[in-house]
Amino acid sequence: MKKTSLNCRDSSGSVISLKGLNKEFKTLNRREGIRGGLLDLFSRNYKVIKAVSDVSLEIMPGERVGLLGPNGAGKSTTIKMMSGVLKPSGGEILVNGFVPYTNRVKNAQNIGVVFGQRSQLWWALPLIESFKILKDIYLIEDKAYNEMMELYHSILGADSGDGEENSKLEVLLKKPVRQMSLGQRTLSDILASFLHNPKVVFLDEPTIGLDVTMKAKIRELVLELNRIRGTTVILTTHDIGDVDALCERVIIIDKGGILYDDTIEKLKGYFGAYRTLKVKFGKHDDWHEYLIDEDKSSVMDKLAEIGKEKKIADIKIEEIATEDVIKKIYSGDEQLTVNEGGGEHETP
Amino acid sequence: MKLRSLCNLRKYFTLVRGGLLEALQWRASIFIQLIGNIIYLIIVYNLWQAIYASSPDETVNGMTFTDTMLYLVLAMTIFNMLSTWTVWMMSNEIRDGSIILTLIRPMEYRTYTFFNVLGGDAVTLFMLFLPTFVIVSLITNFAVPIGVNLLWFIPALIFARMISFYIDFFVGTVCLYTESTWGVDMAKEVLILLMSGAVIPLAFFPDWLRTIAEFLPFQAIYNIPLQILLGRAATLRELLTMLGVQLFWVAFLYIASGLFWRKSVKIITVNGG
Repeated sequence: MKKTSLNCRDSSGSVISLKGLNKEFKTLNRREGIRGGLLDLFSRNYKVIKAVSDVSLEIMPGERVGLLGPNGAGKSTTIKMMSGVLKPSGGEILVNGFVPYTNRVKNAQNIGVVFGQRSQLWWALPLIESFKILKDIYLIEDKAYNEMMELYHSILGADSGDGEENSKLEVLLKKPVRQMSLGQRTLSDILASFLHNPKVVFLDEPTIGLDVTMKAKIRELVLELNRIRGTTVILTTHDIGDVDALCERVIIIDKGGILYDDTIEKLKGYFGAYRTLKVKFGKHDDWHEYLIDEDKSSVMDKLAEIGKEKKIADIKIEEIATEDVIKKIYSGDEQLTVNEGGGEHETP
Repeated sequence: MKLRSLCNLRKYFTLVRGGLLEALQWRASIFIQLIGNIIYLIIVYNLWQAIYASSPDETVNGMTFTDTMLYLVLAMTIFNMLSTWTVWMMSNEIRDGSIILTLIRPMEYRTYTFFNVLGGDAVTLFMLFLPTFVIVSLITNFAVPIGVNLLWFIPALIFARMISFYIDFFVGTVCLYTESTWGVDMAKEVLILLMSGAVIPLAFFPDWLRTIAEFLPFQAIYNIPLQILLGRAATLRELLTMLGVQLFWVAFLYIASGLFWRKSVKIITVNGG
């Protein structure tokens, strides 16, 4: 307890700071069949799995950061370590000046967490009861609570024109959580995680399984809360739409380590110079793809060149989507060069 | 500091309230429990009637038939109250990873679970224990003395609740290692029911078994509160000794389950994600 006062002084001004963070899991090497199962009862044959290795990063107050990576990359593990649930195997973490694992209870007071796949609300009770319980658990003052509820009302209460009754706050508050749709439940979970006005909110795949309208609603809500309350938002997702809509900064993790940590514009910029030109030569022809590096040749030149050989029926020009960029990075293309465009392609 | 910690009490009361509200949602389960109790009572009534019929005396081991029935009926309702599904709930939370949702709260896991459980207790107290107590008192023409014994019963019941909870919590913690506590939980349940005197009053035990039972924490859950409620503690000294034994087990199990949890929670691996 005495040591934490030292930790409180955080020189860099960052709200979250990870230095050389590691996490290893020990799992039993299971053998096959009944015989193997029986042998395993006495086995000491463990395998060490590195879930997170040597992750270092600094996050400033009010930032919106997207944590991306394929399944099993170590995103959730990192979030669990930052929320104090998992103990790191090595390295340092400071969240709001606290070491989360040793000060789990204190740290919990300053953070909010949403897991898209499970609800933290009281299942059988109407949402308002969950809010009342949270108000007491986090010892929220009446004034702060009322202010937050007003803010929620102003974001969700006004009819946003989409005619959606089911995302209105009054409707949600009266509804028992178990009767909610997945979208309503996620929305409620996010409201619950911001209720005690935490400095940092972790959203672990918040839009998983939601329809387009609900996704938009949730993105809007998170953006508004971040803007008005200055809450730092850390988000993991597989939905590039979330990243495009919410994140200023993107961190890509794979195999436990950081592959990329910079702004989303720069990420797109890696491939920004490339365009995909798609051409049809007959009405019922398939699209033929040409990848063009605009630093070397222009789309118009290429088009003229193709047009000299064959009659062009239709054309389409596509920019590389964020998704493709990320796919490239996942697939280990660390030089960040484009090789295959799929289908028929042109080598520059 | 003192004022602050007093304010913090609302943290805990709200969990009791939440647990209570949730328990009330499952009205049907309370009624089914009531029916189950009636069936159990019919069996027990017939069983013990046969036992008493085969004895030449009115009293067996110092207890009349009415005494025994009274004891067993009340033991059953206390059992309804104290046998919460703590172990089952913990093992589920650990297995499916939802324990994380409690671990992100600004509160110790054990404290959180305890106060949540109390809410459910309150429901069984008012919907099962008190009605049963009143009915039994009326039927037996107030065989249960109405006096200070009722007042002493309150701390005895609270201690019993704590002992029972800490044992459950200890067993639930084992789940962090095994990921399944079904076997351990069943063994614990049988051991408690037998050694606590909830199914057979301790007076009917052979001497050697009773001696063992008296050195175990389980009898402090059912036997002691029931002895106190039924006015068996003749002197104040005897009564305080009983409460003292309970208090010892509360302290012992509080520390033991706390240490075990603290050591074990480090190995936690929240599944999924």
